[in-house]
Amino acid sequence: MFALRETAVSLTFFVLSYCLLSALVAVGWRSLKVLRVTQQSTAALLFTLRILPLAASVIITFAFVVPSFQLLEPRSIDEGLGTMPLVFGICALALITWGCYRVIGAHTKASRVVARWLEGATPLDADPQSVVFRSSGEAPPLTLVGVRRPRVLVSESTVAVLTRDELQIALRHEHAHMHTRDNLTKLVFRFCPFPGMATLESAWSYAAELAADDAAVLNLDDAINLAAALVKLSRLLPVEAAPFCTVGFVTGSVGARVARLLAWDEAGKAQPTRLRSWHLIPLALVTLSCVFITYGHALALTHEATEWLVR
Amino acid sequence: MTKPFSIFGSDTRPQLGPFEQQLLQKLWSQGSATVRELLADGKIHQAYTTVMTTVDRLYKKGLLDRVPEGRAFRYTPRHTHEELQRVTAVESIRQLLGSADASSLPLSYLVEALSTHDAQLLDELQLLVERKRRELQNQETNNPANKDRE
Repeated sequence: MFALRETAVSLTFFVLSYCLLSALVAVGWRSLKVLRVTQQSTAALLFTLRILPLAASVIITFAFVVPSFQLLEPRSIDEGLGTMPLVFGICALALITWGCYRVIGAHTKASRVVARWLEGATPLDADPQSVVFRSSGEAPPLTLVGVRRPRVLVSESTVAVLTRDELQIALRHEHAHMHTRDNLTKLVFRFCPFPGMATLESAWSYAAELAADDAAVLNLDDAINLAAALVKLSRLLPVEAAPFCTVGFVTGSVGARVARLLAWDEAGKAQPTRLRSWHLIPLALVTLSCVFITYGHALALTHEATEWLVR
Repeated sequence: MTKPFSIFGSDTRPQLGPFEQQLLQKLWSQGSATVRELLADGKIHQAYTTVMTTVDRLYKKGLLDRVPEGRAFRYTPRHTHEELQRVTAVESIRQLLGSADASSLPLSYLVEALSTHDAQLLDELQLLVERKRRELQNQETNNPANKDRE
């Protein structure tokens, strides 16, 4: 019974903190717009915010709830499970199951489509290690597929309509997505469902596209070539248009991206700040110090809350 | 049948271009029409091929049905205006309740949902790109030292 109670209480804390933090993020993420940082940093910040509720809930559960229960709950007491922990525990299990289902579902669905696109695909160049494939079948113009082993799929029509320079810069854009593991990020998002997060995910998606544009472009010539590739490929209708290529698009993004690329020179002059991971080190140190100093007190408080829940 | 709401993005607004919406409205009012009939009253000022491409795109989005008529096609809206509004509302609620199913599949496209852009916008963008390219070429011709530096 002790272990069961501990599990139920831990899951209760997990689900409550997850929902509370998710609601806060869903409401407050737009305040990030005031920051003037690079698109790469924007994408990273949005990703951090999106997974913050899950990460923080897991940390709260394993760093505070489980130890407080283990250390402060007398094992001899024959206490019942309690309605609240039971109900919230079931909710937490349902949430975790739903998250897993969404991840597996998305992965399976994508794998099925990609397998079809890869039928008869050949490497674009002679390199045996090549990750760029020319799809002979009906695939979207240019797509990065796969999570563990990402590959870039280029359709026949893309090769036909783009010049060599345009194709190269477009491939650099996809390689930038590959480098930042954006497909994996999308799967992670699937694991943390919460109402109202779709707009944050769309914002991340758009920032990730702009960040990949920035990573691919080195000079104005590249920017013009990428803009030309965007316009040309926009004329090609993706065959899998219905479920996969049409959702998650921010209206006018191709126009906005082309305009941004054509203004590349001006944009380069006023480079916004790029946030580095070491910028977070002072914050992390302060947080860790606070936790270290107040840990005993925090455990006692957590246990009090646990008692209140079980009662 | 193609789900009509697949044309809507994560934003709750319909993701149809203005010209697509105009053609759809016209087809709703006429019931059915060929491309030539759509152009007949002179209210649409686009080229025949532009209209043809756009109605073909609407057909591929699952919003129109078509039957061959001579050497052309006769297009009929697959859904009424009310039906389309209803699925838009359902989609909005779906968006509110969670992430759209397809948007977060582990796939990245260089251009997503390209069909939401009508031909006119793409033509304008193409012109902008060409103008910028010409400007750059002129600059390089006038000042070859810049290119050498690069």
